[in-house]
Amino acid sequence: MEEVTEHSEHHSFGDYWPSAGIVGAIFGVITFAIGLAFGYMQISSEPTGALLTPMTISGVVVCLVVAIAGAISVWHFTSEVSPFLKLGQGAIIGFLTGVAITVVSVFLNEVWHLVDPDYTEKYLEAVVANFEAMDMPAETKDQLIDSTVESIRTGRSVVQQLFYGIPMYGILNMISAMVGVKIFGKKKDQETF
Amino acid sequence: MQHRALYIVSLLALIFLVLVSLGEIIWGSSQNGLHWTSRMFYGICHQIPERTLEINGVLMAVNARCFGIFAGLLAGWLLIPAVSGLTVQKKWPVQLFFVAMLLQIIDYTGNLLGFWTNTNLSRLSLGLFFGLSIPVAISDLFYNNKK
Repeated sequence: MEEVTEHSEHHSFGDYWPSAGIVGAIFGVITFAIGLAFGYMQISSEPTGALLTPMTISGVVVCLVVAIAGAISVWHFTSEVSPFLKLGQGAIIGFLTGVAITVVSVFLNEVWHLVDPDYTEKYLEAVVANFEAMDMPAETKDQLIDSTVESIRTGRSVVQQLFYGIPMYGILNMISAMVGVKIFGKKKDQETF
Repeated sequence: MQHRALYIVSLLALIFLVLVSLGEIIWGSSQNGLHWTSRMFYGICHQIPERTLEINGVLMAVNARCFGIFAGLLAGWLLIPAVSGLTVQKKWPVQLFFVAMLLQIIDYTGNLLGFWTNTNLSRLSLGLFFGLSIPVAISDLFYNNKK
């Protein structure tokens, strides 16, 4: 795999942004759309007391989608800029992709609260109603409701969303981008003329 | 070994991830509202208490599967110096990664559709396997074949 390093071109920081920005923006929109779709599913669903609700499934789907963005960014970079890149360059692209996803999804969340100002409250009501229907000890139920309400309410803060989102999405996408370098990065003997 | 700086930065990031995922177990309980470690993973992990590991009744900040993945990533990262020479020019590490990913999808879907009920131990084990497979898959990129 040394060839990947030896034949890497020198790229400036600005070369990474188109791939990280485009893929990050697309995945930011997808993340926002998934969260919103599952959010409205939660709002419109009857409280069944089930553990697996649109809210919990949303977390898993968003995580899976977000985690592959770094690898996709590297694929974009190898297709549009250069097929040769160092592992570290891929890691930077991945981290920047995580930053872009966070910024775009936070921005869209804020915009959506202008479109539907009651969204958070309706969502909270639906989530709490489902917890109320769960078969579990009252103390556990109260704890669960309190922590979820708290996390959804405080999660509305833009600063907090960026503060917590950037390192998490950044690290996950940094790792996934390194896998992207392994899969999409070209070696010299694969070079075609 | 090459890319030493990247290796160390990534190692520190993964140690951070695992330590934060342990939540209140090592960081103490929150004085006001939701613990900061749980906030960090909100939106990434569903954090359902029944699916979260606990020590002495104190829950981690992430569920068993996510903790398994993070712990596996860290364990695999620590193994890179030892295994990178064994994975050069080999296809099995990437195949192992795809098998581990497929197992995650099958396990989650089977449970979701009611074919079987997975447990915290099965979630943790499969998460560990998946997390471990990722550094192993890319370990050859750290191998210095000039030596």
